[in-house]
Amino acid sequence: MQEGRTLSTREINRDLLRSILESPRWFWPVVTVLGIILLVAAIAIGIMVNRGLGVTGLNRPVAWGFFITNFVFWIGISHAGVMLSAILRLAKAEWRRPATRAAEVLTLFSLMTAMIMPIVHTGRPWRILYWVFPYDFARGIWPNIRTPLVWDPSAILTYLTSSTLFVIIALIPDFAVLRDHTTGVAHRVYTLLAMGWEGNARQWKLQITAGVLLSALILPVFVSVHSIVSWDFGMAVAVKTWHSTVFAPYFVVGAVHSGVSAVAFVLILLRWCYGWQDYIRHEHIDALGRLLIVVATGWFYFLIMELLFGMYGREADELAVRGLQFTQWPYNAWFIVFVVTTYFIPVILWLSRAWRRNLWIMSIACISVNIGMWLERFLIIVPGLVNKQVFSFTWADYAPSPFEIIIVGATFALVTMLMLLFSRVFPLVPLYDVKEGDILKTEVKVGRRTVPATFRED
Amino acid sequence: MASSGEQQHGGGHHAGMWVFPVAERVTAEVTGRTFAFPSGYKLALGVAGILTVLGVIGFIIKLTSSGFGSPGPWGYYAGIFSFIFMATGAAPLVAVAFRFTKSHWRRPLSRVSELFALVGVVNVILFIPLMLALPPILNPAAQGTELEVRRTLWFEVPIGAPHWWDFLGLVGLAVCSLAILWLSAMPDMAQARSSATGFRRALYGLLAGSWYGSKRQWIHQKAGLAMLGAFYFMLLVFVQFVFITEYAMSMVPGWKDSVLPPMYTVMSFQTALSLILVIMFVMRRWGGYAEYIGVSPFWSASKILLGLTLLWTYHLFAFFITYWYGRLEFEQNIIRYLFTEPYLVLFLGNFLFSFVTPFLLLIWNPLRKSDWGPTLAGCFALLGAFLFNIRTFTAAFNTGDHYEFALSRVPAAVLPDFGDILIILGGLGLAALVYLLAAKLIPNMSIWEVKEGAKYQKMDTLMKADYLVLAKPE
Repeated sequence: MQEGRTLSTREINRDLLRSILESPRWFWPVVTVLGIILLVAAIAIGIMVNRGLGVTGLNRPVAWGFFITNFVFWIGISHAGVMLSAILRLAKAEWRRPATRAAEVLTLFSLMTAMIMPIVHTGRPWRILYWVFPYDFARGIWPNIRTPLVWDPSAILTYLTSSTLFVIIALIPDFAVLRDHTTGVAHRVYTLLAMGWEGNARQWKLQITAGVLLSALILPVFVSVHSIVSWDFGMAVAVKTWHSTVFAPYFVVGAVHSGVSAVAFVLILLRWCYGWQDYIRHEHIDALGRLLIVVATGWFYFLIMELLFGMYGREADELAVRGLQFTQWPYNAWFIVFVVTTYFIPVILWLSRAWRRNLWIMSIACISVNIGMWLERFLIIVPGLVNKQVFSFTWADYAPSPFEIIIVGATFALVTMLMLLFSRVFPLVPLYDVKEGDILKTEVKVGRRTVPATFRED
Repeated sequence: MASSGEQQHGGGHHAGMWVFPVAERVTAEVTGRTFAFPSGYKLALGVAGILTVLGVIGFIIKLTSSGFGSPGPWGYYAGIFSFIFMATGAAPLVAVAFRFTKSHWRRPLSRVSELFALVGVVNVILFIPLMLALPPILNPAAQGTELEVRRTLWFEVPIGAPHWWDFLGLVGLAVCSLAILWLSAMPDMAQARSSATGFRRALYGLLAGSWYGSKRQWIHQKAGLAMLGAFYFMLLVFVQFVFITEYAMSMVPGWKDSVLPPMYTVMSFQTALSLILVIMFVMRRWGGYAEYIGVSPFWSASKILLGLTLLWTYHLFAFFITYWYGRLEFEQNIIRYLFTEPYLVLFLGNFLFSFVTPFLLLIWNPLRKSDWGPTLAGCFALLGAFLFNIRTFTAAFNTGDHYEFALSRVPAAVLPDFGDILIILGGLGLAALVYLLAAKLIPNMSIWEVKEGAKYQKMDTLMKADYLVLAKPE
């Protein structure tokens, strides 16, 4: 550990503010392409709203398809922020420093994107208002507070609020640095955002205390969000394979798996895009790789529990859904791809230290995880609904329409664009955290060897 | 002996947090304490021995009065077995896990944890009566009907399932943990063989005969520990999964609970860590190891214990809300049976001691930074785990017809008889007896790890304040 050279404050400021103070040549062309993709998706949504959900592949009994799969997927990605930032901050893991901000910001944008999906899925987005403001009491259009579908937005909005606060608190010292490095309108905006930060001892103490408190408080929220998303399914006894007690931890571990993989990939991209080789080093990606082996194996254990206990009951209708998942085309093929890409490919790659430190291989592994995790959600949602049940009078298979594919694809463009735009105005690697890490570095002489060491913060 | 200066122990609010043993003296001091027989130790050994004898009497009473015809009378036996297995089976993992994460604070607790390998042998022996008490998978009374088998993990009933497979798993665990102990203690035994006398000298000579401490041997030893540790972890999770499913879940008709095995495993980690904290506290306070065990291991372990406590509760809640919300009649019956009606008191005690009290104690920072705070939380967690196992297994073994498809009624609670009480006391006594003997057989502090740790830590000044500096060589 502790590779790379110790940098001066001036060098750190210059390097990490480069994304804000200078505009790389690739930046605006990439944003434009992403914007075009979003425009196409907006048109697709417009047509869908105009013509109705008939343009999608949704039907009876498959009322939840690509959109809800994508909703669960982005909620999962959002778990990386807290996992890396709060837990590693509380555990005082030194290698967390360059990764926390990108993780937190990814949380925000993936949460926002996730929230869009159920709204799009309604087909008539304005009808969300009926739920928010039940306008017509006589018709009984009240939200049912006993359903997880109501707990969901509550938990997600709480998570979004606390994550935003978490990011802002951590950004304050960096706002002050930006205030001191800018002029004109930008200077005035950063001055406002820095809230009078001078970096005195009292301010640091308050900032650190707030960070630790928020870290501890946000953890239950983080766990609750994906647990409640899992209970959207788990509470439904009618759809076989959904009513499983393991769903909550299974979903949370899966979310951490996909989220941390996504953060690792984002860090690799940032390193390439902004030349942050001195900050996002191989040791950090290596540490993420090792963490991911543990997370992936934990996730695999829950997957086995979920599958085994699905069959343990020997209930005919549950076995029928499992049969659909494991043996019938195309679900069987997707199932194999899902397991191989989520666990076997990445974990085999992560087992080698040299491969964990190879950024190309790490990128492949992290993308592989997220392909698999998207499929996982699809394979939980759709086969359970496709399966004909006792009182289904009509049923059909599900295939996504081009509208769904475009809209779902565009969510990736949306998150990428938001991350890029964020990097233009705020540093994606926390300056003060990196500086603090450098201060705490030291060495210990053991025999004839000099060993890297760290001052412990407590 | 550690140097006594305030600076060496950390000044100000760091006082007593860290200890700095002198590497040159560790071997002599630790082996000296291992070979000594103080009166307190003899008393503990005597009590454990008496309890063991009582347990044997209880077992004979149970065997002669009930036999193995039906599982019901063996519910308390299964509960106490599960408690011992839960705590002692996972205990060696504590050393494995924190060695894997390269946590410096683990050094004084490594051997405390690894010594439980010898209790693993006891687990194998205690398991044998349970194999006889478990009803067969095939329902002898209903062949050719829907109820011809009870729910089981072993769908097609392979040869020897589940009894012999569970037994093999336990044997595998015992062998693997003994191998970990041997590999870990080898350098210590090699050092101690010169000062040991009698049978210990012969034993150390035999077990550490080829150890000279060459670089190659150290590399092999560390790689071996890592590989055995990984294997032990996977095997333990598997055996726990099979055991809790086969001996609890499948005994209650309709109980299909995929979160139970992870919950059992999480609770085993919580229990094992608690047990190790209690032993370390005793060693620090009364065993003469205060110079080797600072507050730091308690402080660090307390955070893990808090996490495990929350994790257990989360798993319990995940089960509860899924069953409660589903409103299926047989699931409601299971909740009523295991939680809210006949075993309500045990459940409340379990919840209070496994979650409420450890949580309230461990969220308090000053308490976590003491040696007694996490220990007290650990004592509660142990009590909670004990109640959990008694409740779960007694209920499971006494559901009546294990071949029913769903639980259609709520059976009554079964109270322990005289034999059950003796068996419970005896089980605890036997585990304690074996551990106490093991602690006198092998150095009960990992000498090489403590010496290594002494070289990697020091106090230093940063911006006018004293801090601990920890080296990370790898």
